Amino acid sequence: MLRRFEVYALRPDSPVDDVRALEMACRRCGRFIPEVLDCAVGWNLSDAPVQLVWEHAYQSPEAYRRYMVHPYHAVVMDRYLLPDSPQRIVIDGPLGAGLYGYACDTPSYRMRGGTRRLVLLRIDTKASGADVARLRDELERAPADAPGMVVSVMAANTMGAAWFDGVTPVMGPPRWTHVWEQGFATRDALDSYRQGASTMAGVERAGWDRGTGGIVTRSAELFYELSGD
Amino acid sequence: MHLVDTVEVEPEHVDRYLELVSTLGMAVMTGAGASFVSCATTPGDVGERQHIQVVWAFDDFVHWNEIRKNMVLDPRYHEYGGTAASLRVGGTRRFFVPVTLSPSL
Repeated sequence: MLRRFEVYALRPDSPVDDVRALEMACRRCGRFIPEVLDCAVGWNLSDAPVQLVWEHAYQSPEAYRRYMVHPYHAVVMDRYLLPDSPQRIVIDGPLGAGLYGYACDTPSYRMRGGTRRLVLLRIDTKASGADVARLRDELERAPADAPGMVVSVMAANTMGAAWFDGVTPVMGPPRWTHVWEQGFATRDALDSYRQGASTMAGVERAGWDRGTGGIVTRSAELFYELSGD
Repeated sequence: MHLVDTVEVEPEHVDRYLELVSTLGMAVMTGAGASFVSCATTPGDVGERQHIQVVWAFDDFVHWNEIRKNMVLDPRYHEYGGTAASLRVGGTRRFFVPVTLSPSL
């Protein structure tokens, strides 16, 4: 499967109707492109200077490629997004290209509602594969001592560079090398995790210096209430 | 099929917008694989903003997908988009597919 996030920084003077139209276009995408799975949107509640998040998934790279050539993508979605479109309402993202995602075997990210948190990670390119694998294991075991966390998936941000066909990089390595996708049943559960005594909450509060071998050089977070179609 | 962009500009920006399309826009779009079809404006000197319609052609949405990739990977595309945005006050983007019209009986 391919898990994918598009994150939009909106032009401050965007017409409200156009913003709502983009939000609806994202939320309803699966109605028109059946290959688009687990479609949901959310309004970012973190301090990161982006507003709208569209999360979704594809069963396979072939399914993703059908999305890429579907008229709904070009006609409806891109109307608000492409740099030369007269109806563009987004600006170039301060978090780098606003497209992140990863390959996974099963939809372990899936949840029907609640609060999604996406932690963007930049991992030192000199970090060994073993160190990255160890970090991934630690992050994915986080729910064991953070009961409110119901989803925890960490993976390389392959979609950031392979956005054309889901597999082949068409540009250099992304600014955010990995993503750590989390899910919480409620916003209170997320807050409890952040303030709690779990190992990973402590690592995050310490700026990732503790317990990760120093391989995480930078991070940013988004979180939002899930709103599906 | 055709991509039809119709932008609304202040009259004093018409010439600059047309120059942008004829230089950077033409280079980016044709370099990416689109064909230039036409460009036209509503009449000036009527006390209103003017509209500029630019039409590009390509085969189908598969072809457009390649064009979009080529555009996004071309640094000039982002300059083109940013400059165009600074000159317009509004507009629309629509895709048109040809239809076969039967003669009326």
